[in-house]
Amino acid sequence: MSKVVGIDLGTTNSLVAHVVDGTPVIIRDRSGDGLVPSVVSVDADGTVYVGREAQRRLLTDAQRSVYSVKRFMGKGIDDVGDEARLFPFRVAGEPGGVVRIGLGDREFTAPEISAFILRELKRRAEAFFVEQGDIDPEVDRAVITVPAYFNDAQRTATRDAGRIAGLDVLRIINEPTAASLAYGLDKRHTGVIAVYDLGGGTFDISILRVEDGVFQVLSTNGDTHLGGDDIDLLLMQHVLHDQIPRTPEAVQEIRKAAIQAKWDLSERGETEWLGRRITRAEFDALIHPIVDRTLGPCRQALADAGFEPSQIDEVVLVGGSTRIPLVRRLVGELFGRTPHSELNPDEVVAIGAAVQADILVTGNREMLLLDVTPLSLGIETMGGVMSKIIMRNSTIPATGSEMFTTFADNQTAVDIHVLQGERELVADNRSLSRFRLRGIPPLPAGLARVQVQFQIDANGILSVTAHELRTDVEQTIEVKPSYGLTDEQVEQMLVDSFEHAEADFAARLLIEARNEVETVIHATEKTLRAPEFAQVVKADLAVGEQERIEAALAEAKAVLNAPDRDVIQQKTTALNEATKHLAEVMMNRSVHWALAGKHINRL
Amino acid sequence: MQACRACGAGASLDAHFCPQCRTILPLVRRQTDYFTFFGLPRKLRIDAVDLEQRLRTLSRQFHPDYFYNAATAERRASLERSSYLNDAYRTLKSPVARVEYLLSLEGRAANGPEEASKQVPPALLEEVFALNEELDEVREMRASGAPAEEWRSRLERARQPIDAKREEHEQQLQELSARWDERGESDVLDALRDRVLERNYINNLLAGIERELSQ
Repeated sequence: MSKVVGIDLGTTNSLVAHVVDGTPVIIRDRSGDGLVPSVVSVDADGTVYVGREAQRRLLTDAQRSVYSVKRFMGKGIDDVGDEARLFPFRVAGEPGGVVRIGLGDREFTAPEISAFILRELKRRAEAFFVEQGDIDPEVDRAVITVPAYFNDAQRTATRDAGRIAGLDVLRIINEPTAASLAYGLDKRHTGVIAVYDLGGGTFDISILRVEDGVFQVLSTNGDTHLGGDDIDLLLMQHVLHDQIPRTPEAVQEIRKAAIQAKWDLSERGETEWLGRRITRAEFDALIHPIVDRTLGPCRQALADAGFEPSQIDEVVLVGGSTRIPLVRRLVGELFGRTPHSELNPDEVVAIGAAVQADILVTGNREMLLLDVTPLSLGIETMGGVMSKIIMRNSTIPATGSEMFTTFADNQTAVDIHVLQGERELVADNRSLSRFRLRGIPPLPAGLARVQVQFQIDANGILSVTAHELRTDVEQTIEVKPSYGLTDEQVEQMLVDSFEHAEADFAARLLIEARNEVETVIHATEKTLRAPEFAQVVKADLAVGEQERIEAALAEAKAVLNAPDRDVIQQKTTALNEATKHLAEVMMNRSVHWALAGKHINRL
Repeated sequence: MQACRACGAGASLDAHFCPQCRTILPLVRRQTDYFTFFGLPRKLRIDAVDLEQRLRTLSRQFHPDYFYNAATAERRASLERSSYLNDAYRTLKSPVARVEYLLSLEGRAANGPEEASKQVPPALLEEVFALNEELDEVREMRASGAPAEEWRSRLERARQPIDAKREEHEQQLQELSARWDERGESDVLDALRDRVLERNYINNLLAGIERELSQ
């Protein structure tokens, strides 16, 4: 049976998890690293790099590398504005259309970039299942998490990314809710919990009631444009003083240093940053306004759920940015209790996604998520005012309906503008879609009765059907988000991705070969530099052996950046051969030393 | 009665599953209502804890999570029933939405917010008249540059009688609800309808005051 996984597609890092014998586990690489940096880099020859390698390339080929792509999901170029300034990559797109990200001479939509990350996670999971000796290691289905406050367009873009990556997206679930599932695993508790999720680019707060294994979200709020990225940007601006460095790579160096400083200051009272000292007090003062922006949504969510902070039984922290002491302190103060952080805040969402994936495929009814729609859904009415049809915090799936009629005699079509948001005026809300309702029978004005039904499914995604009550004709309306892709575009992207798959696979093998030769070179150099090496040469090595090793080492180093995997592998093998005897000698000596050490101890 | 499409067995209209083969039945909206769906009598006093318990129990039966592998018709039935369940829960949870829903079921719908905002309910004429005078004066004060505290405190005073009216209405709504639950008399529904209209009107007035205060 092919595999199903849970995926946390994050702004900064992404993870994949899977349930093995009832226990969810993060799938890690060989070095034990579960995080795949959400960075994609496309080389001049079209090779695509994802993760750590792409992150390294930010410092050498920044203009061909993209990070924080989640911020562009479901967005139009009009939504982006000033933010694009410090990004090394090109952000373009036609007015009214989706954002396009330019890397070299190629352009990608945000779902396509996200699909590269998803494909990397899929590959990582498949490699894991192969290693486990699984007979069917293919991963073809996934539950993917999104910020609870994501709107319809952002959710649809995420689902499109999954399809482009060749995954059947079983369910889109909200990150804080996924985290609560992970927390609910070891504690069969009952009560009201608040999940505070401050990630790389987004902030969510959800209030849930947990009872009889049902995780019922009572309210949710947030800001899909608030997270660690904003803290990094603030730190960068603090040193840059509005001067933009000469090269995008220089910007990335400063960004990297800012992130390091942020990490340091979460552990210690002060740190050195680009040659200057910065204390935690200074850091706190600087980022206080950003952290403050999370408190308003918390209060709103509490009010919507009908609770005072003191009525919350437990507070759970999720997302890497909750490692910042100031965040912990302010959240603790707001709720009047110490927040939970037993589980790794980077991993807890992926764990929850894996649990939900398991529920879907096994039909396990022990736990059930009942989530809500974060934003009210409505339509435009006379005077540019939004009329709400499904209120925010309604449990999903949910429906709402509205009756339409005609204004003119024999009118056969009505235009409908669907919106999401809380504000009065259409212009202040998110435009989801405009569509024309056709096929209304010609009747005198005001006589036609068209009932339009809005359905929000368990993914929080909208579909619309219409029904003319006089003629009893039902029609399903194709609702495409204003900032979305058509099905044909998604299909084409999937086809394109297959065409590139071969090149991508070759690129991966090349990277692996490079990593391997690097490891061997490093080990050899270390031995050659060891203090006892001179003695080893004299006592144990054959005549000319040292020279042969040095020659093989030089040749291996020469091909380190070669574009040909076979050449690299050949030199790796040669170096391995040349150092085989030396390695044995060193091994024996260390065993001997260890024994000798024991002997001394015994004396 | 309806016939199960899977096995042909007969099922009552308010059954969620076929009694014979346990297949989830499609939802026909015009053949049920929120009370029936929840297995509750058509009464206005509902125990909130019991309602939530029913929501959880029914969610565990219908939720699309459990029909991921099912046939298309069953998946659709699961989505329809889950949506209807959640819509019903939202309505029955709120005492006022519950009254409005009952009125529409009994053919006495208060025609939405438009009707409520257009005509002043006779019982509120006096308060509305007084409030409008106050609002005019507050606007004049503001226009002539009076200090904010002054006109704000005046507004706060002006809302006191409206707040009192609202309290009074909550009380009346509860009493009428109790009477409906005991006797089910239709003249109670007419009284409920008037109270709901007045209540909506009062809420609009209070929202208007809030808007003035936030100026």
